[in-house]
Amino acid sequence: MLYREAGQFKATYQEDQQIFPIRQDRVGMAVILAFFFAAVPLIASEYWLQAILIPVLIFSLAAIGLNILTGYAGQLSLGSAAFMAVGAFGAYNFMLRIDGMPFLLAVVLGGLCAAVVGVAFGLPSLRIKGFYLAVATLAAQFFIVWALVKFSWFSNYSSSGVISAQEVNILGFAFDTPILKYLLTLAIVAVLALLAKNLVRSATGRRWMAVRDMDVAAEVIGIRPMRAKLSAFAVSSFYCGVAGALYAYTYLGTVEPEGFNLDLSFKILFMIIIGGVGSMLGSFLGAAFIVLLPIFLNVSMHTMFGDSLPAGLGSNLELIVFGGLIIFFLIVEPHGLARLWALAKDKLRLWPFPH
Amino acid sequence: MGFFFEVLIGGLLSGVLYALVALGFVLIYKASGVFNFAQGAMVFFAALTFVGFKELLPGWTGLEESSVVVFWLAFALALASMVVLGILTEKVVLRPLVNQPHITLFMATIGLTFLVEGIAQAIWGANVRGLDLGITDEPIEWILDSADMIVSKFDVFAAALAGILVASLALFFQYTKVGRALRAVADDHQAALSIGIPLQHIWAIVWAVAGFVALVAGLIWGARSGVQFALTFTALKALPVLILGGFTSVPGAIVGGLIIGASEKLAEVYIGPMVGGGIEGWFPYMLALFFLLVRPEGLFGEKHIDRV
Amino acid sequence: MMMNDMAQGAETSSGRRIGEVILDLQNISLSFGGVNALTDISFNVREHEIRSIIGPNGAGKSSMLNVMNGVYHPQKGKILFRGEPRQKMDPHTAAAQGIARTFQNIALFKGMSVLDNIMTGRNMKMKCNLLQHAIFWGKAQKEEIEHRVKVEEVIDFLEIQSIRKTPVGRLPYGLQKRVELGRALAAEPSLLLLDEPMAGMNVEEKQDMCRFILDVNDQFGTTIVLIEHDMGVVMDISDRVVVLDYGKKIGDGTPDEVKNNEDVIAAYLGTSH
Repeated sequence: MLYREAGQFKATYQEDQQIFPIRQDRVGMAVILAFFFAAVPLIASEYWLQAILIPVLIFSLAAIGLNILTGYAGQLSLGSAAFMAVGAFGAYNFMLRIDGMPFLLAVVLGGLCAAVVGVAFGLPSLRIKGFYLAVATLAAQFFIVWALVKFSWFSNYSSSGVISAQEVNILGFAFDTPILKYLLTLAIVAVLALLAKNLVRSATGRRWMAVRDMDVAAEVIGIRPMRAKLSAFAVSSFYCGVAGALYAYTYLGTVEPEGFNLDLSFKILFMIIIGGVGSMLGSFLGAAFIVLLPIFLNVSMHTMFGDSLPAGLGSNLELIVFGGLIIFFLIVEPHGLARLWALAKDKLRLWPFPH
Repeated sequence: MGFFFEVLIGGLLSGVLYALVALGFVLIYKASGVFNFAQGAMVFFAALTFVGFKELLPGWTGLEESSVVVFWLAFALALASMVVLGILTEKVVLRPLVNQPHITLFMATIGLTFLVEGIAQAIWGANVRGLDLGITDEPIEWILDSADMIVSKFDVFAAALAGILVASLALFFQYTKVGRALRAVADDHQAALSIGIPLQHIWAIVWAVAGFVALVAGLIWGARSGVQFALTFTALKALPVLILGGFTSVPGAIVGGLIIGASEKLAEVYIGPMVGGGIEGWFPYMLALFFLLVRPEGLFGEKHIDRV
Repeated sequence: MMMNDMAQGAETSSGRRIGEVILDLQNISLSFGGVNALTDISFNVREHEIRSIIGPNGAGKSSMLNVMNGVYHPQKGKILFRGEPRQKMDPHTAAAQGIARTFQNIALFKGMSVLDNIMTGRNMKMKCNLLQHAIFWGKAQKEEIEHRVKVEEVIDFLEIQSIRKTPVGRLPYGLQKRVELGRALAAEPSLLLLDEPMAGMNVEEKQDMCRFILDVNDQFGTTIVLIEHDMGVVMDISDRVVVLDYGKKIGDGTPDEVKNNEDVIAAYLGTSH
């Protein structure tokens, strides 16, 4: 009864083109933002902030990045983690080597480094497609991690490439507590998510989707596939790069290149499959799901077995559940959690009437 | 110069093994259009199952673990498990996804990779196991004496085994009725179905054969470096071979395997020291990538014309 | 010798004025790996006319359209568009010059709504860059609304208001063809290439489509090149018809001339030589 669009008439195209055309959605979004910005810092424990909320936000950003490339522009990538690494090491080096480098600028520059590298590894997409391209992105994954380990300049000559993030300081204000780090991450992710949403609903997004759906037809109506694909690689890598920088600065504090391995790339891919390919909301839902699932499994295993947990069973169970869920979602709901949410909203529109 | 050839031969021999894993991909891709990322996990599963049965069988039968009977019994049981795994995969994972975009199927096989790895370790444990095929990894003496090169006995044996397997599979698919049906299916599912080729049947056979190939590859790799999780990485070794040779070409897989094997070892020895080593992980990918930029259709692929 | 050219300035029955030659194809030959798709074909298209290409299956009609908008590059021959010669022309340049087209097998963007599909047709005219799109407010939004107005005109013209937010993949065949026409029209082309716009339609849908094509030609003065199998339609709405068979031109002229051309009759009905 409450969730209705009846009576809300769009008199201008501007109104019709809003991100949330239905008033209840706008109110809902405002409530959610208020909750995460104002209420969460008051009620969440340090563990929740550091081990769950911050990583969920950061992975959401990486998932948005991959979703732009895979969900919107149709180019599958298996190298997202490597672009995160470029962002992390890029930001680190800007902070390290330039005196008085503002933190936010360093993050953006780290993202831009990732964008440049992303475009370089996106070049093959102009000539090869589908699986060939997916496999080609593995080249980025292996090469970048190798280069960051081998050329110790990147890690300021530390052993095995480990870097420790510098203190986060914006305009003389130190972000040194979990609550502040959480708020900073949330603000950056919220702004970037909005920008991404704008991109995909504008001509840029339509060009990406056109190339994804049928590149020959796209070319005939004057879209340059090369530009569309490379811009998708650039934007996608930028998002992954910023996520990587935050991963180092607001989440872990200490990272090494090997941490950005193929497994992490797969995890980000799983986030968009489970959350919803080609959906902004899906990127958030997927990231939350993938971060929470192992924690949930761990806790439930401990309550079931107590301390007599068979060694290795936990990690194997995680593999099995992850793999099984991916297959399950692809078969049963290829559009992921985001579609389930949309279906629930459709039901809500009619509620309490059956039809 | 002797050193160069030593590296080259070593590379070519390991290239045959890459070709063997790549062949598993090609078979399934040709028959069902599925790019089976889980092939590496299947290699791991196969080797682990073989070793697992080999350890269990003496207890069940009272025979010595080193006996030939136990070896072949374990082989048969592992093969049966692979066939069951293949058929289950086809029925449970791939059949519900028929007519989905290829990329969806590909992602499903990534899920399958995790699933198979998890199941394999849950059943057999995650310890590294040794595997002895009775061939030692030592230089062949007469080559060492006459040409002063180190060529491993084991490598030659493995390459020969893989070579025989590849050749017999090629003959099988070229000259038998099942092979013809398979090629028809690869060409056009609908058309094959309409002339009465039992599609499901063919797919089951192909998955079984791919399981067999995975088992052989698992045994050889497992004997070489121990049966462990790292066996799943054989898939990562085979992928550049596939880009180079094309996903649909058996000769492509073989030639691609040889090229990747040889150039990877040569690059590691000659370029590696200049940049700090460890380039084996990415060099094959870069090589394949640059090759593709010049010739996007791959080694043996046909030039593709877009029709609108 | 057949009468090949309709005089410039001639007036058609509906009162449209036929203009100058805007597209002139001279001795076009195209082959794929040794197989000849088109052999030594010459004909021209005049401004404001409806020019049909007919011929049996495999005659090279679609290849001809692909040559016109730069998807295929002929090995031999010359193409003049508005008097300018061009050997190689990619589809992008063609689009920039005002050539739009539809496809034999519908080539819509399946994952997008009708509205978005037609909006992509405005692509060439949208000038904002990626950063402006990301920020959206201001210039990009203004541009988006400006083009939305144009797109809504196309939607009204094609009478598809009720489905504007439907994903095109869910539409029936006939409507998809209409949306594809809409996407081409949104570009406000001066030359519109239509590849079998009525294939697989029932009589009613065909009548609608005919009406749209004639209206486009009439109201906007758009030059139209049309491939169609339905002879009734072709003879009714075309100003001139060119006939292809096995990649060669066997006839060219007004519908009446073509109807009475012996080679054309032979190609369609078969004959004993």
